[in-house]
Amino acid sequence: MIVAENVHVRFRRGILRKQIHALNGLSLEVRERDFFALVGQNGAGKSTAMYCFLGLMKPTSGKVQVMGRTPDLGSPLYGGVAYLPEEPHYHLYLTVEEATRYYAALYGKRISDKTINDTLERLGLARFKSLRLAKCSKGMKQKVGIAQCLIHETRLLFLDEPTRGLDPLVIREFREWLQAIHQRGATIVMNSHVLSEIEMLANRVAIIERGKVVVQDELKNLLTLDRGQYSVAYEGDGAAQPEYLGAVERQGALVKGTIPKERLYDFMEFARGSRLLMHECSLKKTSLEESFFKIVKGSETPAPAALLAGQNGDQSAQEAAKTEAEVNLEE
Amino acid sequence: MAELLRANVIAHFAYYRRSRLLIAFLLVFLLLTGLSSLPALFMNSGVQTFNSLQQIFSVLNTFLLFFSGGLGLFIMSSHLRGRNLKMVFTKPCSPALWLASAFLAAVAVSLLLNCIVLVSAVILSLSWHLPVRAGLLFISVDTFVASVGIIAYLMLLTTLTHPAIAVTIALIFNAELFYGGYGWTQAVIRSGNSSWGLRLLDRFFHYLYYILPIVYAFERKTEKIYTSLRVLHGEWKYLIYSLGYVVVLVVFCYCLALLALQRRKHI
Repeated sequence: MIVAENVHVRFRRGILRKQIHALNGLSLEVRERDFFALVGQNGAGKSTAMYCFLGLMKPTSGKVQVMGRTPDLGSPLYGGVAYLPEEPHYHLYLTVEEATRYYAALYGKRISDKTINDTLERLGLARFKSLRLAKCSKGMKQKVGIAQCLIHETRLLFLDEPTRGLDPLVIREFREWLQAIHQRGATIVMNSHVLSEIEMLANRVAIIERGKVVVQDELKNLLTLDRGQYSVAYEGDGAAQPEYLGAVERQGALVKGTIPKERLYDFMEFARGSRLLMHECSLKKTSLEESFFKIVKGSETPAPAALLAGQNGDQSAQEAAKTEAEVNLEE
Repeated sequence: MAELLRANVIAHFAYYRRSRLLIAFLLVFLLLTGLSSLPALFMNSGVQTFNSLQQIFSVLNTFLLFFSGGLGLFIMSSHLRGRNLKMVFTKPCSPALWLASAFLAAVAVSLLLNCIVLVSAVILSLSWHLPVRAGLLFISVDTFVASVGIIAYLMLLTTLTHPAIAVTIALIFNAELFYGGYGWTQAVIRSGNSSWGLRLLDRFFHYLYYILPIVYAFERKTEKIYTSLRVLHGEWKYLIYSLGYVVVLVVFCYCLALLALQRRKHI
């Protein structure tokens, strides 16, 4: 569906015409019916890669092909393509309804009033259809962008940070629509910083670092089981905590943590002796976030002290996290 | 194709309807024109009322030229600066079609305003008991043709550069300026000074005068019509000539603007 081979994008910016090497030999392949996620840090080149797929940017060198053709501005190729941009750069002088109708009409097909109204209704935009986009909130503008993606049967959908600025209810509905569109046979390419969202939706992932794909694989291969550790979660009435329990997280009476494989039987003895109410004891799964950190930073995710502190309400842990962050910044 | 063009033109009309800057510009100018025409209401002599009519019509047509330039300038700068063309070009709507639609919408608005000015002039003539002269129609068509050229030229300049620079180029560095410069160098050369620097400057002014667009291409042939509002039998042909000049100018500006639009990063 999409093939990029050794794509380089260089351009100059600013008064000093500083050269920016946005893509540095990016190669990837998106297959038909893939739900493909592009993951990377800010400035890694995810959006630039998407602009190249959409013909909005021409590669300095290398080859990009979408559905067997080189993408170009306004190409007939885009008859089956929809794009949701990261920033809501829409036609702000149009109303919600006019913008939806206009973007739908740009496919050269007549769209019935019913289809427009149904789409606006589904997204909760019907009440605001006479409101100009200039006066809409960012979330509402994003919904207009989603509406123009959903209004046609698309074969290929490009989503650049699609859930940014949306309320949790709409995010959930949006995920369901995406899954439905994907199940209908559409190919989806998505940029997102929300790794948990990617874990829920994507089947293939490319991790981009400094304009280059460093890993491109099935998501399931990135979410491997760590055979050296077990994740445990239990409730105990003030039972002492075993010293080998790591990455401890407390949520009220519930204690979560990890134990090394060789201490599993010791832990079972401890659980029996302390009459713990076990919630979970399974091989530890590596999350996409952990895989991402491993690949990009070359190390495992540091225990997010700030997060633990937030959950435990532990003031000293919060301070420790703050100090750690400051040290990292200085480094 | 027709559906795409229609959708784009409708969107552009919505832009013009809601552009506060353009509407404010229109209202201020109409107010000023209205105020300047007030004294004419109290004039008794036919010559005075004719002069007033001619003056009001001339002011309105000059305004139309500026306003038409604004139509071309604002529609391009607003879309390029708003970065919303990526929403258009990532659909099967080519830059060529979008540019044509923007141009057509600007021309249509300019035509509408030209018609309003012409009808207003005819109504004024009738209400002031003046004969409706053919010159009114001639000047209206001539102004419209010139407006089309200005729209295309400003659309091109705005695609290439910042709108403020585009306006500066259109207002200051125009053919009239270089024609004046050319006249001056010619006069100095004829008076005996023929240094190579002056001759170089003379050629420079001469070529720039040829290259840059002229608002009224046949101004010197038709200037009498603008004062008398009468058209002689052989003078209508200048409208065809002007049209021919503007068609060439529009095609040239369109092709260059399209090239610039395609080379731009719409991100």
